[in-house]
Amino acid sequence: MTSRRTETGGRIDRFRTIRFTFDGASYTGHPGDTLASALLASGVSLFGRSFKYHRPRGVLTAGVDEPNALVTVLRGDVREPNVPATMVEIHDGLVAESQNRFPSLSWDIGALNQLAGKLISAGFYYKTFMGPVIGPLQGTRFWMFCEHFIRRAAGLGRAGKAPDTARYENMNAFCDVLVVGSGPAGLMAARTAAEAGKRVILAELDPVLGGSANWSGETIGEVPAADWAAEAIRDLQEFDSVRLLPRTTVWGYYDGNSLVALERVGDHKERFATDEPRHRQWTIRAGSVVLATGALERPLVFPGNDRPGVMLASAAKRYANEFGVLPGDKVAVFTNNDTAYGAALALKNAGARTVLIVDVRADVSADMRAIANELEAELLTGHAVVATEGGKALSGVTVQPFQAATGTASGEARNIHADGLLVSGGWSPAIHLASQAGARPEWDDGLQAFLPPQPTRKWTGAGAFNGAFSTAESIAQGVAAGMAVSGGGGQRFEPPAVVTVAGDPKPAPVLEIRADGKSFVDFQHDVTADDVRLAHREGFVSVEHLKRYTTLGMATDQGKTSNVPGLAIMAAALGKSIPEVGTTRFRPPFAGVSLGSLAAERFGDLRPERLTPMHDWHVEHGATMYSAGLWHRPQIYGDPGETIEQAYVRETRATRGSAGIVDVSTLGKIAVQGPDAAEFLDRVYTNMFSTLPVGKARYGLMLREDGIAFDDGTTWRLGERDFLMTTTTANAGKVMQHLEYFLDVIWPDLKVAVTSVTDQWAGAAIGGPNARKILQSVVTGTPVDDTALPFMGIVHGEIDGVPVMICRLSFSGEMAFEVYCGADWGTHVWEALMQAGKPYGLVPYGLEALGTMRIEKGHVTGAEIDGRTTARDLHLGWMLSKKKPFIGSAMMDREGLIASDRLQLVGIVALDNRPLSGGAHIVEELHEGNPHGSIGYLTACCYSPSLGKYIALALLEGGKARHGKRAFVSDPLRKRFGPVEIVSHHFFDPEGTRMHG
Amino acid sequence: MASRIGVERLSPLEPVYRSGSHGRFEDGVEVALSEIRPGSIVQVTAWPGEEQSAAAAIRAVTGLNMPDGPGGGVVASDQHAFGIAPGKFIVTVESEGLVAALVNAIPPAMGAVTDLSHGRTIIRIEGPKAEWVLAKFFAIDFALPAFPLGAGRSTSHHDIFAQIQRTGADRFDICVFRSFARSFWKALCHASAEVGYEVQ
Repeated sequence: MTSRRTETGGRIDRFRTIRFTFDGASYTGHPGDTLASALLASGVSLFGRSFKYHRPRGVLTAGVDEPNALVTVLRGDVREPNVPATMVEIHDGLVAESQNRFPSLSWDIGALNQLAGKLISAGFYYKTFMGPVIGPLQGTRFWMFCEHFIRRAAGLGRAGKAPDTARYENMNAFCDVLVVGSGPAGLMAARTAAEAGKRVILAELDPVLGGSANWSGETIGEVPAADWAAEAIRDLQEFDSVRLLPRTTVWGYYDGNSLVALERVGDHKERFATDEPRHRQWTIRAGSVVLATGALERPLVFPGNDRPGVMLASAAKRYANEFGVLPGDKVAVFTNNDTAYGAALALKNAGARTVLIVDVRADVSADMRAIANELEAELLTGHAVVATEGGKALSGVTVQPFQAATGTASGEARNIHADGLLVSGGWSPAIHLASQAGARPEWDDGLQAFLPPQPTRKWTGAGAFNGAFSTAESIAQGVAAGMAVSGGGGQRFEPPAVVTVAGDPKPAPVLEIRADGKSFVDFQHDVTADDVRLAHREGFVSVEHLKRYTTLGMATDQGKTSNVPGLAIMAAALGKSIPEVGTTRFRPPFAGVSLGSLAAERFGDLRPERLTPMHDWHVEHGATMYSAGLWHRPQIYGDPGETIEQAYVRETRATRGSAGIVDVSTLGKIAVQGPDAAEFLDRVYTNMFSTLPVGKARYGLMLREDGIAFDDGTTWRLGERDFLMTTTTANAGKVMQHLEYFLDVIWPDLKVAVTSVTDQWAGAAIGGPNARKILQSVVTGTPVDDTALPFMGIVHGEIDGVPVMICRLSFSGEMAFEVYCGADWGTHVWEALMQAGKPYGLVPYGLEALGTMRIEKGHVTGAEIDGRTTARDLHLGWMLSKKKPFIGSAMMDREGLIASDRLQLVGIVALDNRPLSGGAHIVEELHEGNPHGSIGYLTACCYSPSLGKYIALALLEGGKARHGKRAFVSDPLRKRFGPVEIVSHHFFDPEGTRMHG
Repeated sequence: MASRIGVERLSPLEPVYRSGSHGRFEDGVEVALSEIRPGSIVQVTAWPGEEQSAAAAIRAVTGLNMPDGPGGGVVASDQHAFGIAPGKFIVTVESEGLVAALVNAIPPAMGAVTDLSHGRTIIRIEGPKAEWVLAKFFAIDFALPAFPLGAGRSTSHHDIFAQIQRTGADRFDICVFRSFARSFWKALCHASAEVGYEVQ
């Protein structure tokens, strides 16, 4: 392959060489090169295969709008597909691959699809996946089978499976002014706002700030434009209040002037710096936004317009001026406007010859004729390119006289040799962010483009974004925008003189040349002009439907090059004007966004861990930790070789036999304080709390407003106006919100403060026949005998020098005590209790044993208080006070909530001595093949060491009336069927003699 | 940390609190992280209409003179206070026993006093990149004009509720629930690694 690098020129560092590979072959380039420019410089013309037809494709553009040259970039085994080669900065060791080809880019089996063109036209998926409606395959899944192969054949790069070890981060930023785009307009807007004292963020998607100044070849203020831009950037760097963000794509404009931007921090580096993120996702809350996003050149639609070697004129100019790369030695130009002439001039200066200029306009200005003369190029006005030749590279073009009235070409055709074709169909302002912000674009007939309308949010446009395509205008508009967003502040200054190539950017209203052959509108999705017309013939008249049916503009490039040509063809088919047809709204993201950067710091670490004060002790003592919401709680303290069941059975036996201790620090704890605290609790709980004496606790039940059971727990009266409410672990947050809502909204007159003190207290529940003896041996400052500490009594004392609060209450059914102390002393007190328990064989127990003992006792938890059950369903009707109203009391007697067929809490015993599972159904008649007739389901199951049986709690139709009856467990998913007996939910010690001592 | 009780108080950060320099510190550390372990962290709730009286009571006990308004706060050498919510203040002092003094100063008709000395953990971040690191966690404008010295903000980082007070030009104290402190600390270290951090 021949080198297409110029001898001199460009912004690249020719003194350094970078080595990289593309499709396994080694190439070199220079710092400042993109993958596209380096490969073009090395003579590569074929970059990829197209989406549907697998046609060979080269590079169309030089920037973010690239639809063809999409590659997969690899770092180790980590793949990032669908990256425009025009946006990849090369670095030593870069590995990139082409996409959508097999076995190789040059020899691609999928290219056979080109022969099936008619079969895979617009609406292909819709038509295909309907499935055969007649014939032998009707009603079969044949098309589902085909889908796999079709999807494989059509497409983009392959996602990887290797874990991505890179870091990603989120950043929040605030500024007075966000300037998007750092071309002459953006630079001036930023500088003006900065001088007015504003906090400014300037975001630029390219690696180097300056935008078009870096490749325009113009002179600004008597120096080359790139130097002028560099000077302006140095000025900006002097301001502490300015943050410059190169390599940062602002991709979303959301409510409240929140914009989102992706900063590519590490992609251009051979190795990411230590602890540096690969990408930063910026959420920028801006007082005002200056949109200086420039404009994108459009291709023309004609047969063969997708052949490698066909390139946008502006892109060719950029490759020549910025990278020192020529798209060809002998190029042709095909245009509907003046700007392509300037591009040809730039190529001449860089060393390429323009042999032919084909202009659809019947005549061109004297200035353009002069340029054509200077280029020594043949100028064919009123002509069009109707075909291109070549395979993996362009070898020639065919031209014919063009009839503007019909949009067709006819007459004598000429073949002309050229190895590059520069096309220009005019320019479309990059109004994507304004469109996202809700602005409806306005069509400009002169520019043949949609322009941004009056701002709908706090943004101001400047430069080519506004359709101001000259640099002088852009600079003036940038200054004006900077002043506007600074409230009129900032210095007005004499704009510098700009020396540029003459030319009028207004194009002829010609975007398509109708001739035989595939003329591509959307290059990335392989949508042709005929596809658009076919969609119209099939009845799609709305532009929104057209887009979805043909997939025009729906590829990863979001139709940056295809939007306006597509609309023009649709409008012509409908016999309407483009503004009548309208345009679709752009959506975020403007360009591809890495999923890692969206997950950011939660990537690989989804949830924070919530740890109890004794967490490290549990882990050190062999606990298997179990996630309960965000909390980590001991499940079992297993001995080596023990199963979970063996461990919890051992822990339960030890507790019921002598003593056990469990960490209950996770219980929700809410300080309820104030003169109206008792009154408030009376309203919140179904039972009475105002009558509770100081120094006592009471079990309480809360309902939701609709009368359904909500949460339960004990509340301790620590003082006249001072209560400590405990909630279930799972509902702590919900109960807090519930209380705050009623205090703030319903009863603001109550003087009550609620504060989460869950984390203030470490809690240990110690229970069993010897629990009191253990406490007696370790607690000082208070007796703990039955007189001093009766059931539900509270005492204050000390354990090993630490103040503790002890309440006698029981979840396990044993004589039990909850010992609370300041959280920072939790481990100290826990260890003191363990030490004191040694003579009694005190064991720590986990959630499984806790659950087992509560099932044996028939105590309810969130498994039964599940948002569907009432107090009466759970046999807690006795707690519903008749002396006072409370939250839920007005609704709890509704017909549906007191119906006789409601599910009620019962106990279940497996009669086949096999384990039961939660969620299994209970049936009266067993049909393993046709399970049906559920009368209820199991909520919690365990092996009961006290009964020597597998037992469960269940919610069952009929409830108590079924006690003593037999039924069956039916669990088809886990294939568990068998006989059970329905019993009372109080399996163990129903009289409570153990608890009361 | 020794206390009046005579029994060491165990920090939730204990096993993960590694003094020294970490992350990319070859060119120097740009933030310092530490746990400040005050003797008392107390929340005061004033009943509607009693906010000024409660603030006066806090001033009488601690000498801290809080400005009016949401998020208003004040920093003295070893004690801080700021408004965390309408009628709610958090007061942090070096010594133990603040809760008793405030209970005496604030009668039930004025408000309520809640001891959170064990329930909250205060993590300090200080240094030229403190704002940069915090910007990774919170959608809050940390710039000095928007977040003046002494002021505080109640916010959250996903599941972790956080009360943040600016206690220096480039210093912030973040008060989190004790049970989340270790997770938050680890996340903060992770986020600080890129600028180099020192644990003091």
